[in-house]
Amino acid sequence: MSALAQAAPGLGDDAIAERRHGLRRRPGGRMPRPARIGLYVFLFTAALMFLLPLYVMVATSIKPMEEIRLGNLFGLPVRITLAPWAQAWMSACTGLECGGIRAGFMNSVAIVVPSTVLSILLGALNGYALSFWRPRGAQALFVVLLTGAFIPYQVMLFPLIRALAALGLFGTLPGVVLIHTLFGMPVMTLLFRNYYAGVPHELFMAARIDGGGFWRIFVQLMLPMSLPIVVVATIMQVTAIWNDFLIGLVFAGHDWLPMTVQLNNIINTTTGERLYNVNMAATLLTSAVPLAVYLISGRWFVRGIAAGAVKG
Amino acid sequence: MAATVLWVYVGSVLWSVRISVSSSRTLPIGDYVGLRQYARLFDSERWTLSLQNMALFGVLFIVACLAIGFLLAVFIDQRVRGEGVLRTIFLYPYAMSFVATGLVWQWMLNPELGLQATVRGWGFPSFTFDWIARQDAVMYAIVVAAVWQACGLVMALMLAGLRGIDESLWMAARIDGIPPWRVYASIVLPMLGPSFGTAFVLLSVSVVKVFDVVVAMTQGGPGLASEVPAKFIIDNLLGRANIGLASAASTVLLLTVLALLAPWFYARAHASRRGERVARALRASETPGMAA
Amino acid sequence: MSNKPPRLALAVALACGAATGAHAQANRAEVLHWWTSGGESAAVKELANAYTAAGGTWVDAAIAGGEQARAAAVNRMVGGTPPTATQFNTSKQFLDLVDQGMLNNVDVVAAKNNWDKILPAPILASIRIKGHYYAVPVDIHMPAWFWYSKPAFAKAGIAAEPKTPDEFFADLDKLKAAGIVPLAFGGQPWQEKITFYAWLAHVGGPDMYLKLYRDKDAAMVTSPPFKAVLASYKRLHNYVDAGSPNRNWNDATAMVISGKAGVQIMGDWAKGEFAAAHQTAGKEFGCFPGFGPKSPYLVAGDVFVFPKITDPAQVKSQQLLATVFTAPATQVAFSNKKGSIPIRTDVDVKGLDICAQQGVTIMKDVSRQLPSPEMLISPDLEGTLQDVITKFWNTNESVDDAAKAIAAALKNG
Repeated sequence: MSALAQAAPGLGDDAIAERRHGLRRRPGGRMPRPARIGLYVFLFTAALMFLLPLYVMVATSIKPMEEIRLGNLFGLPVRITLAPWAQAWMSACTGLECGGIRAGFMNSVAIVVPSTVLSILLGALNGYALSFWRPRGAQALFVVLLTGAFIPYQVMLFPLIRALAALGLFGTLPGVVLIHTLFGMPVMTLLFRNYYAGVPHELFMAARIDGGGFWRIFVQLMLPMSLPIVVVATIMQVTAIWNDFLIGLVFAGHDWLPMTVQLNNIINTTTGERLYNVNMAATLLTSAVPLAVYLISGRWFVRGIAAGAVKG
Repeated sequence: MAATVLWVYVGSVLWSVRISVSSSRTLPIGDYVGLRQYARLFDSERWTLSLQNMALFGVLFIVACLAIGFLLAVFIDQRVRGEGVLRTIFLYPYAMSFVATGLVWQWMLNPELGLQATVRGWGFPSFTFDWIARQDAVMYAIVVAAVWQACGLVMALMLAGLRGIDESLWMAARIDGIPPWRVYASIVLPMLGPSFGTAFVLLSVSVVKVFDVVVAMTQGGPGLASEVPAKFIIDNLLGRANIGLASAASTVLLLTVLALLAPWFYARAHASRRGERVARALRASETPGMAA
Repeated sequence: MSNKPPRLALAVALACGAATGAHAQANRAEVLHWWTSGGESAAVKELANAYTAAGGTWVDAAIAGGEQARAAAVNRMVGGTPPTATQFNTSKQFLDLVDQGMLNNVDVVAAKNNWDKILPAPILASIRIKGHYYAVPVDIHMPAWFWYSKPAFAKAGIAAEPKTPDEFFADLDKLKAAGIVPLAFGGQPWQEKITFYAWLAHVGGPDMYLKLYRDKDAAMVTSPPFKAVLASYKRLHNYVDAGSPNRNWNDATAMVISGKAGVQIMGDWAKGEFAAAHQTAGKEFGCFPGFGPKSPYLVAGDVFVFPKITDPAQVKSQQLLATVFTAPATQVAFSNKKGSIPIRTDVDVKGLDICAQQGVTIMKDVSRQLPSPEMLISPDLEGTLQDVITKFWNTNESVDDAAKAIAAALKNG
């Protein structure tokens, strides 16, 4: 039997030894030089193309309006001004108040943290249950969940508003966290279910034989193994909920309006004058939080420890 | 919890269907007007065009994102230097809401202001890149911006999947002397099945709900050329005070999605039934040890 | 920390309010509107200051985007937490709310302040439904002004503002010859729509305009005079640049500000952009409200409506708001900052810019007042007509087909 077939089930002492010694072997290995160069060229070009809009945003955000009005989209700023950034954060008008996007920052944090944690937890639980325990009617529930993900939120607003109002949760923080969690369920469940589908069933069986129940297996086996997908899930949920405008606007009530409402007020004025530099600065500031999450989560984006976790 | 989810989604859909057979305008009204809203819907050139645009957008967007996302993930996985930086560069578009980035794309693709003007300024007077201003090409412009925003996440998903593949696979492949590209094609790609599946569903959801990029870049224009179903629905829900028509449109949209998903669901149900049989057999036999 | 103070202040204020009783939050009014830019914020501040001076407490709830704000207001009414007052356009947008009994009326205020006598007829028609007053108007905007760059006109050799459509086309030709973009245009459906409004009113005339929007006369629409107006509207397309599709209206104004383009047809809110660029009416740019001394003046604007609340304290706040908003001093201060003209003609307009002063003078001539289409037709029909116009503007659709489409829309709407 070839080494490959032996290795395919995904278990091997070498893998564990490598991890213990902190070695990081990657598939690249000994690639031929020209291929290596071609690789870097491709990545570099792609990176440049991806960065072009960012360059325009940053450049626009540090130009004065007189310069922006003249066009010259890709030109470097003739005169650099950081006033738009200060304005975006602290003094841009968002209605009667002219306090910039700062006003909603803590509200956004208060909404994002519990919503992300809850939706990922529930999604992982659902995915785990659907993958390994297959309760009756699970498939049907999954289908309903998935179809629900395709419906634009606006359509579901009225019944949800009435329901939350009846529960006394309309316009409160728990209310908006509940809605975010509910809307995040389909995608999170899908994410974890498909991830666990790639986990060898033998692992689960072995844990069952070792005497693990539903919760023990989840907490002690599945969760630790799910690090890469939890990273992806966090990226998705933090981005979606941090950038969400509609749910925060409708369900958060006057006291808990997220930063995106201020951002929308700064950018989307209908007949008012538009200060594009401030708009760009405000957008860049708002996206700083998801970006920080991406950067920090990078360290957990390592090879999964799934395969080497259990000995035969 | 299951009950809540069921109630939220099924209940909302049922409510929406009920409203679609009423004459609701700004507020929901409980009267019954039969299929009048649906008749108006199918009469509407704008709705028909929006469905066509969604189909075109969907195919191009999904194929491009899957291909580019996969390639980026594979290349980044090759022990490149600065992987963290590269990953962030490809992911950052996902962090930004389209409200502002859409405007940047509108400017960049504007023939008088953006790329066309710049390249012409470099001395290529016949260079044309005015997709966004043309009725027949504006959807391609929207695809470009949308792919820019979404393929970072596809890359991340693929990377997570790639990282879940055991080391020993690569070592064994090297021992057996199999060239890397064949490993990718014949072994890795199938193993990434679930990742592709997840990415495909996520992208499909984006396609059906595509709204922000269209509103920020073109507002559905020029004319009606970049109209999409979600924009049709929301315009009628909000500005045109036409909840009945909007509900009819979203019901039709949902039915379309269901029709497309039904074969896939059936296949999954079939496979899962098979899986259940195997699981039951395993449980019954309770054999210790595996990897035989 | 930077954001702790506001919430802390809120907590303290609430505590104080609880301690000292209702006195601290006297006449509390939560006002929902969509005025979020710098200039608009200054204008709202005038309203808020006037309300505070009259003994009220203003709680601001601003949401950018008219459609978004109106939808948010309706959502809150459905959810049981309505604002005290919420903004709409002077239009038929809030008719459904009236029909469903979701609004309080302000008949008391209207009677006390003689609204019948001081408000222009088109506005009265809009706010008085079935004999009751359901909205308080705060401003009049005119969506069909012509703005032009004085340097651009000088460069093209145009000495005076055009007095007829033919002169206008001749001027556009002169601008083109001088290498200037003749018409600064933003190719978004709503801009194409209001340009059509302007063209129909100024070139087709008030009779044709009213036959279309007030009488919904499908026969007139397929007649040769109307088709001629459609054709000359499409003729404007020859004078816009290739970058016009999708362009924001502000970017088009920027072209006029920098002299790259000659003329823009846009509402009087464009003055905000000129002001932000430190340009003054009459110096760097000029404005005229139509062709000739009897050109019609389209009346559009904003109103505030009052959701149905039974709490007598809130009702009192609503009535106080209505009184303050229509007071002469408030009107002048607000119009100054907003770029609109006051809803009443019995005010001192010395502080307004020359374009606004011109507007006020024209409004005194009742025969020139023309209600904007949104006051005459439902949002749904307005939207359908917008679809027809934008298709006509952007494709090679023939004038006949466009006329037929308009007629069909009128019959179904």
